[in-house]
Amino acid sequence: MSAESAAAPTGELVAPDVHAAVMAEAERIVALGEGAERYARDEINQPTINNWLEAMGVSNPRWSEGEAPPSMAQVWTMYGLGGKPPADDPLHGMMRALTDLGFTAVLGTNCEQTYLRTLRVGERLRVTTALDSVVGPKATGMGVGYFVTSRNTWYVDHAEGPEVVATMLFRVLKFVPRRRDEEAS
Amino acid sequence: MSTTGMEALTVGQELPAWELPITPTLVVSTAIATRDFQDVHHDRDIAQAAGSKDIFMNILTSTALCQRYVEDTLGHDLELQGISIRLGAPAYPYDTLRFTGLVESIEDGVATLKVTGAVSLGAHVIGTVRVTAR
Repeated sequence: MSAESAAAPTGELVAPDVHAAVMAEAERIVALGEGAERYARDEINQPTINNWLEAMGVSNPRWSEGEAPPSMAQVWTMYGLGGKPPADDPLHGMMRALTDLGFTAVLGTNCEQTYLRTLRVGERLRVTTALDSVVGPKATGMGVGYFVTSRNTWYVDHAEGPEVVATMLFRVLKFVPRRRDEEAS
Repeated sequence: MSTTGMEALTVGQELPAWELPITPTLVVSTAIATRDFQDVHHDRDIAQAAGSKDIFMNILTSTALCQRYVEDTLGHDLELQGISIRLGAPAYPYDTLRFTGLVESIEDGVATLKVTGAVSLGAHVIGTVRVTAR
């Protein structure tokens, strides 16, 4: 970082060269489109649904008769214990870039799920991840940072081609945590 | 909880409140049931070392509880079209999650419900749930 940008004028949230680096990486990763494709470890199955029903206290009998609860869509493609996103994962690539630039903290802010149809026991999901947008810098109560939005698309593959069954926009704030002595002000 | 039914909904209608005590077991069992093994959802020592008061509810569960609230309130003859949530205060054990809801609009057969799950620190989740009749 240049001495000039380190002495950024009051009111400038992020040094211009840092902001330029964030936006250049964002543009690069957004242009990659959907990546980090992977299949669910398991088919949609009743025992996993039953564990979810018990934990959530959901009693709708429909979810014991061959259909899966809509808000479980993401569950099927979670990485699992010890699982890690692949190196080419667009969201984690952007997060890593921001961490390296000093935006070390993360906070989930929004999750928007759309269900195109109800999923059925026996179906196997495939998911892709894309970087949707990076917006900032913004001064928030947590600190200065960027809002990073990723887009997941879930598919069921058929002989005639893939079918989109659910989508999710997930937004996090990636920020420089405020120091304790700043919190009082 | 008695159910209201989709067809009886009117714009501006308030849905009956629902309270769910948050226990360590709830936070841990729902995190694992959603296959979310991030340590801050099951290991208090690690959560506190990271600056959190305690373990806290994961996002997949906040979404799932919006589904439960709407199903328990409106009955089972509905199709969920989507759940969008904005996250606020963390949901810690020994607090209570209090859900309230409002019918925001009904257009082309889609009812849009505003669902808020509040804890003692303020809103934990502000959700928009879109449903149609089944």
